[in-house]
Amino acid sequence: MKTFEYFKPNTIEEVSLKLLEYGDSKILNGGTDLIVALNEGRSCPSIVVDIKGIEKLKEISYCEDNGLTVGACTTLNDMMNNRYVIGNYKILAEAAHTVGSCQVRNRATMVGNITNASPLADTATPLLILDAFVKIFGPGGEREISIHDFFISVRKTCLKAGEVVVGIRIPAYKEILGLYQKHARRDAVDLATVCASIAKIDGDIRIALGSVAPTPIRCRRTEEYLRDKDLTEIVIEEAANLALDEASPIDDVRASRVHRQDIIKVLVKRGLKELVI
Amino acid sequence: MKYDIHFTLNHEEISMTVAPNRTLLEVLREDLDLTGAKEGCGAGECGACTVLVNKKPINACLMLAVEADGKDILTIEGLSQGTELDALQLSFIDNGALQCGYCTPGMIMSGKALLMEKPAPTEEEVIEAINGNLCRCTGYKKIVEAILAAALKEDKS
Repeated sequence: MKTFEYFKPNTIEEVSLKLLEYGDSKILNGGTDLIVALNEGRSCPSIVVDIKGIEKLKEISYCEDNGLTVGACTTLNDMMNNRYVIGNYKILAEAAHTVGSCQVRNRATMVGNITNASPLADTATPLLILDAFVKIFGPGGEREISIHDFFISVRKTCLKAGEVVVGIRIPAYKEILGLYQKHARRDAVDLATVCASIAKIDGDIRIALGSVAPTPIRCRRTEEYLRDKDLTEIVIEEAANLALDEASPIDDVRASRVHRQDIIKVLVKRGLKELVI
Repeated sequence: MKYDIHFTLNHEEISMTVAPNRTLLEVLREDLDLTGAKEGCGAGECGACTVLVNKKPINACLMLAVEADGKDILTIEGLSQGTELDALQLSFIDNGALQCGYCTPGMIMSGKALLMEKPAPTEEEVIEAINGNLCRCTGYKKIVEAILAAALKEDKS
């Protein structure tokens, strides 16, 4: 591992200033991706800014007006065991639970998971169907953007120079029925070959897929097709075909494109069947 | 540049100076001679480097030593009381839950973290707790049995 300067400030303003000062800085949160990259020489920053000294980034809160707010430094284990997450956003807890191992989840965070902008990030698809917001602090102050505008491409987000994600906000919903599915080569400690969040949220079916395109995607056309329809066998089959059309999977080390196409259909059908009353 | 850190290691206060580009695992093994935690994959997949930070299991290969500042760290070396082994260590021996021993410190630390939180876990909870720890020889059955047996023994005493 090449050497770097280590900086652990107590305020978010200092983080932003340091990011602006050094063009090649890296933010250290849970470190479960960054430290592997540092070790392998894929990342050689001149400064590493540890944001875990900022107490308010560890907070997780819920109220009916604003919904759930998860601070950037909330670990995945703390998040998935939080009573509001278990009670109101079970699909998010399910997705968080599939990340790495217990050891990894004691360090890794949801904000780290999504700011990496991996197409297969486990917590991305639930956030997409929950219409979450990304809270960002930067030189212009704090702003909130839709998760739908956050991912730009593989490992690329819309974050600008000096900006840092401080948390995620998920609106409050009356009812979320559905599940997170992850198809991987082994049950534990693996990356998704394809993952899917499919749920009926306050009456509307929403579908998001991961590891099927350069970013995690919402399947809007499939959702539109399903609006006000009964989930018959034929409708579910057609929806699976539509979702397949919306995806553009590739061949990689985990699976071939053709295999992914098969899995997409299976996960969409299985997810929708769960919603049949 | 080097950084001064202060932390609790195996119940003792420690102050030392570390370079920022060294992992907690490297410093434990190379500077502090605590070679119980092992490096297997170096990527958070095998769990051979598992130690407890503030009572929670983490991969020491995925934490910078400088991040240990202010933390309470427990390694396999801190489990025994002098020459008296911890009940979980004894249970691994009694149940034949090791062969080459490479994964054992990590397995025991994951098991220990579980038992500290849930003194009477189910088999499912044990399997879940060690799913970030790979074993390539003994197999998992005896390891799961050893953790369950230690829980039962603790419960009776």
